[in-house]
Amino acid sequence: MKIAIIDYKAGNTASIKNAVENLGFSCIITNNPEEILKADGVIFPGQGRAGQAMKNLKEMGIDKILSRITKPFLGICLGMQLLADSSEEDNTKCLSIVGGKCIKFPAELKTPQIGWNKVNFIQPSPITEEIKNGSYFYFANSYYIEVENKYIVGKTDYGINFSSIIQKDNYFAIQFHPEKSGTVGSQLLNNFCKLC
Amino acid sequence: MLILPAIDIFGGKCVRLKQGDFNQSKTYNEDPLIVAQEFKKKGAEFIHIVDLEGAKEKRPMNKEIILNIAKTINLPIQVGGGIRSYEDAKAYLDNGITRIIVSSMATRSPNEFKRIIKEFGSSRIVFSLDIRDGKFAISGWTESSEKSVTEIIEFIKNAGIKIVVVTDTAKDGMLAGPNFEIAQKIMDEGFETIVAGGVSSIKDVLRLKKMGLRNVIIGKALYEGLDLKEVIYKANDMNKNNLVKRIIPCLDVKDGRVVKGIYFKNLKDAGDPVELGKFYSDSGADELIFLDITATKEDRKTFQDLVGRIAKEINIPFTVGGGIKSITDMKELLAIGADKVSIGSAAVKNPNLVKEASQYFGAQCIVVSVDAKKKNDSWEIYIKGGSEATGIDAISFAKEMGELGAGELLVNSLDRDGTKAGFDLELLNAICNAVNIPVIASSGAGSAEDFVEVFQKTNVDAGLAASIFHNGTVAISDLKKVLKENNIPVR
Repeated sequence: MKIAIIDYKAGNTASIKNAVENLGFSCIITNNPEEILKADGVIFPGQGRAGQAMKNLKEMGIDKILSRITKPFLGICLGMQLLADSSEEDNTKCLSIVGGKCIKFPAELKTPQIGWNKVNFIQPSPITEEIKNGSYFYFANSYYIEVENKYIVGKTDYGINFSSIIQKDNYFAIQFHPEKSGTVGSQLLNNFCKLC
Repeated sequence: MLILPAIDIFGGKCVRLKQGDFNQSKTYNEDPLIVAQEFKKKGAEFIHIVDLEGAKEKRPMNKEIILNIAKTINLPIQVGGGIRSYEDAKAYLDNGITRIIVSSMATRSPNEFKRIIKEFGSSRIVFSLDIRDGKFAISGWTESSEKSVTEIIEFIKNAGIKIVVVTDTAKDGMLAGPNFEIAQKIMDEGFETIVAGGVSSIKDVLRLKKMGLRNVIIGKALYEGLDLKEVIYKANDMNKNNLVKRIIPCLDVKDGRVVKGIYFKNLKDAGDPVELGKFYSDSGADELIFLDITATKEDRKTFQDLVGRIAKEINIPFTVGGGIKSITDMKELLAIGADKVSIGSAAVKNPNLVKEASQYFGAQCIVVSVDAKKKNDSWEIYIKGGSEATGIDAISFAKEMGELGAGELLVNSLDRDGTKAGFDLELLNAICNAVNIPVIASSGAGSAEDFVEVFQKTNVDAGLAASIFHNGTVAISDLKKVLKENNIPVR
């Protein structure tokens, strides 16, 4: 059983790998499309900017295969945002996996949002099992994703109420960093890895 | 955003005029002190008082009433109206008034005007620029000066004025909104601008805020139904959010070991960084910062190995800093697992590095360290661990860093570092007011109460300390408890 952590030069893959391994699961960091498709689960992390990230994904030939994944998939932060149709950041066309678009926080809000914020669960999902509703997770983002209500698992209030956990079939995505969110973060990551 | 409610006094009573016309006055309260107390109850942090009668008579007429308000309500107060001489100024400034506002004096007695700025400092002398039909109006707006607005701006700049109250007299008391163009113009001239005259709704306040203005005087509207509490809440709401206040232990690292220097000197060993970091994470720290304090001089390899170990063991965010000079330095540290990098001297020497880094890695992982030391009325940026002055103004620097794409500012007060005398609230407020990115308060924490104070009195997002955590003076779990008791959101 192996989880593929996609390395597309936009993110802190080392920390995700550490976190997954500390939970007792095995994983590889890869940008090889075949390896990604073969894995028992896929983690799609991300930091940095949407434009550059999409460019990297295209160059590596990963952009085309992500919609074909049938195993559990977890997008984190920018890895969540790229699942939309488009992003306001660099006016980027994204992966169109969950639809919707990625929007910048209004100018009046301190941007980026950096720190621990609450996630309020809207509907049950296997990745939030055994996590208390209203738990704090660590966020570091300037953009958020706007998707259809039926996909929203958890929401967070940062002056505006945005989707912080979504799920569409086998695609899960979270705006916060589970690998940096202490024990609740580990619990969420553990819930995901167990699905793989 | 600072909302200054206005109290105009005539004949000992609280009144309002329309467009400065003494024939169109309305008494709102017999006792201005009661009005001031009401404002305080509604959350005012600064009160603007005008001795209207004084402005008309060209000398202070209600001084005793005003000084009594200052004495009774314990809030900063600025006073204008009839202050025409050095003696008038001194009588207010030596007796509990924070700032005075002058206007006619500048053209009538320029030498006296320059003298009070020199003696009391530009943070205590506010210039009131009252504009009537495009001209500078004086003497309670009953006369127009011969000077054009451009001339007067030039003149007050040379005299050393930094803070300006700008009023379009045609708008005052009309409840039809302020003159936004003039406000913009004065702000563009580089003055700390306080907008007055005609501000009548939350919408006006928010529009001014959006323009970048930080201070607004509201008068008549508050007496005609606008709720001060709501204005203050809404105007500052946007800086509020549901994030908890973060507690960040800082670990200064030398040769792979934790130290904490008083004034960055006299280093004292305090343990293994990974063990200590893990201990803090387990006891509820929200984040950690590791600073390689010898990085400018010695081999960085030891530190890089350490960062890798930290990333493996710790599951809360951590920032690393010390001697980071290039994108390559950052890339290395972020690749091993650091979440953010803190840039110090390199950002001062090459501001463009911040822009480049932010574009490359995203703003969320770029922390800029602002090392500031008070100099007269402002603060100066220092580099190289606080050993070298640069002549750069700290507030302008903070603003610039925000604009270039810094994700957070780590503000060190060199006046407070190692003193345990509490955070530098004045500096932190000045910086929080100047930027719209998260600010981490550093330097001076000596007790849990210091954290309560910094979170209650400033808009900072996080508080950082080192030695008080390392030597056990303050335990993180206790600190969180105290913060909670004081209604400060914590995790």
